[in-house]
Amino acid sequence: MLPTSLPPLSKGGHATHCKRCLSGLPSSQVDIDPAKLALSFYCLGSLDVSGELEKKTRDWEREQWKEWIWSQQTSGHYGTGFRASSYMTAKHSVRIGPQEHSVHDSPQIIMTYTALLSLAILRDNFSRLDRKGLLKFLRSCQNTDGSFSSEPLGGDSDLRTTFCAFAISTMLDDWSGMDVASALQFICSCRTYEGGYGQSPFGEALGSGTTYCALAALRLATKQLDPLDRQKTIRWLVQNQAPNGGFRGRTNKDADACYCFWCGASLHVLDAGDLVDKAEMASFLAFCQFKFGGIAKIPGEHPDPYHTYLSLAAVALLPPDSSEGTSWALCPLDPLLNATYQTSSWARAHIPAPKVDDDALGDAGI
Amino acid sequence: MDLPAEEEQPLYSQRPEWADVVPLEQYESVAPLAPIFYTDEYRDATNYFRGIVKSGEMSPRVLELTENIIRQNPGHYSAWQYRYKTLMALKSPLDDELQLMDELAIKHLKTYQVWHHRRLLVQQTRNPGPELEFIANSLQVDTKNYHTWSYRQWILAYFNDDALWSHELDFVESMLESDVRNNSAWHHRFFVVFQSGVRNGDEDRDAVVRRELAFVKERIAIAPNNASAWNYLRGMLDHAKIPYCELQAFVLPYSLPQPPLGTPPEVVDLESPLPSKNSQLPCVAAVEFMADIHEAAGGDDLVTATELWKSLANEHDTIRKRYWEYRITESLKTKSAGDG
Repeated sequence: MLPTSLPPLSKGGHATHCKRCLSGLPSSQVDIDPAKLALSFYCLGSLDVSGELEKKTRDWEREQWKEWIWSQQTSGHYGTGFRASSYMTAKHSVRIGPQEHSVHDSPQIIMTYTALLSLAILRDNFSRLDRKGLLKFLRSCQNTDGSFSSEPLGGDSDLRTTFCAFAISTMLDDWSGMDVASALQFICSCRTYEGGYGQSPFGEALGSGTTYCALAALRLATKQLDPLDRQKTIRWLVQNQAPNGGFRGRTNKDADACYCFWCGASLHVLDAGDLVDKAEMASFLAFCQFKFGGIAKIPGEHPDPYHTYLSLAAVALLPPDSSEGTSWALCPLDPLLNATYQTSSWARAHIPAPKVDDDALGDAGI
Repeated sequence: MDLPAEEEQPLYSQRPEWADVVPLEQYESVAPLAPIFYTDEYRDATNYFRGIVKSGEMSPRVLELTENIIRQNPGHYSAWQYRYKTLMALKSPLDDELQLMDELAIKHLKTYQVWHHRRLLVQQTRNPGPELEFIANSLQVDTKNYHTWSYRQWILAYFNDDALWSHELDFVESMLESDVRNNSAWHHRFFVVFQSGVRNGDEDRDAVVRRELAFVKERIAIAPNNASAWNYLRGMLDHAKIPYCELQAFVLPYSLPQPPLGTPPEVVDLESPLPSKNSQLPCVAAVEFMADIHEAAGGDDLVTATELWKSLANEHDTIRKRYWEYRITESLKTKSAGDG
């Protein structure tokens, strides 16, 4: 069979789509409010991974965005974190600095993870981060079964929130915000007979993030699957690549662009990324591109920042052959924190509490 | 039942019965990321909601207000949370609330909050019985909805009442009857048979395993190229610690090319039902299964396993070419380690 070349990846168009979403969303997107910081992360992440951030945005815009993200950092009895947006915050109730939050305006763990990465994409120096408060917040979110609630007074607790707690602890370089052993036990209890992980114990194996969350969290805590389990998980993940090149989230379902990342990154975390048919995956994603920018979940649908980012991230992690041209070349991605290596190094360097003694030693060493 | 025609309702700011509430506008700093251009109706309702939350009022009109917001934005976390607190404070009849939820759940099957709210309500009513029927109905609308299946599993495990569990196998069977490729139904079967659903009286696990083997073989015979059924088979064998080679007689015919037309099966074997007519053979999952059997046997069998993997890589399942080649490499590594 003759090799057929891929249509180009229209990075500029996808960046424009994300930039447009950052400038405003129509009223039909009102359900984004309780997850606004996540959406912002997908937009900023798309710009970052495609190397378009500096081209498409101006210094003052990035400064304003940082301010807005910091204005979502709130403190209270249960510690400090970031809330999704100010959709429950009333005018005139705002003070300077980390705000006291009410029960109905509290920080959320997934939003906190995406806020930290977004600030790292914007190269913030994190001088305003309340690190002690953040550790307290993590502790207040952990349940007795080891899982994490999305916020201290409840909300969903599943593998996504668990992963966020692991990623936040990694970025802080401080694991005192959680009981690691019980968190690991919770992850194991979500494993299914297929080799994937369900959202919570006894749930069906799900490629939509949860298996990735489980595997990445284990790896962040430097834990390995035992060889038999690893084989089973690889088998299930590989089986999810559909004949059209895309990945399915569950056995016998249809492919969807976002699972190219969730399954592809899972394989990468297991050091088995090369088992993906990258050319076929890129070809599927190429056809998910919307002609006016952005990537949709399947060919012919409307794009959104979530599918745009995850598709780009999948390509960054598992790129097609370089003969496909430079349009498919993206910034290398750290599969564990889910950001470009440049951003994740920035996060790992600037988010931990400054170590005064170490700095002195470091200077002496240089 | 007359449903309130929300479209025709005036804004809260124009309704005299809300005049005593101070509406609170949403705070936004100079340049919010991704601002949403709210409709007037949404802005108005949420202004009053922020006002209510500030004053702490819990009254019947709060139920109306939160329902209004939820209908405009079912993902509005705080509206759900505050609504639940208000229901508790007012000791509202929760059956009415569940009825409203029946409608909202079907409309917003993919919204997490809808299901979370329902869990909270049923924990109060402690009447899980009607829930199973409600779930069965909503699965008719979306047969693979993750939230709906999770909710069913939660109801069963949380209340863990023998009567609740008693019809679960029939239920799964009917779901698989209408779609034998529904992985959520297969997963649910595993949950019922091998996990939380194990009941007193089920202690004869050998009999259960025999029943399940017969069940899954029959489903594979109907539709051989069904990854869900093969995954279930593998899952139950692993769970029961049965070596795959015990299934060799059953699997072999599925791993071979199409038998010539008109060849009648030599012996009808109930233990090993044959692929249904017009099945596409060889079946990838069966070839993989046979290769696993040969790999486990080791020795000269590895040659056969390698041949099977090669046929998958080059002919029957080329998208996973790299995976099948990896299996060959791995087995050789294991072999040389064993030889050494």
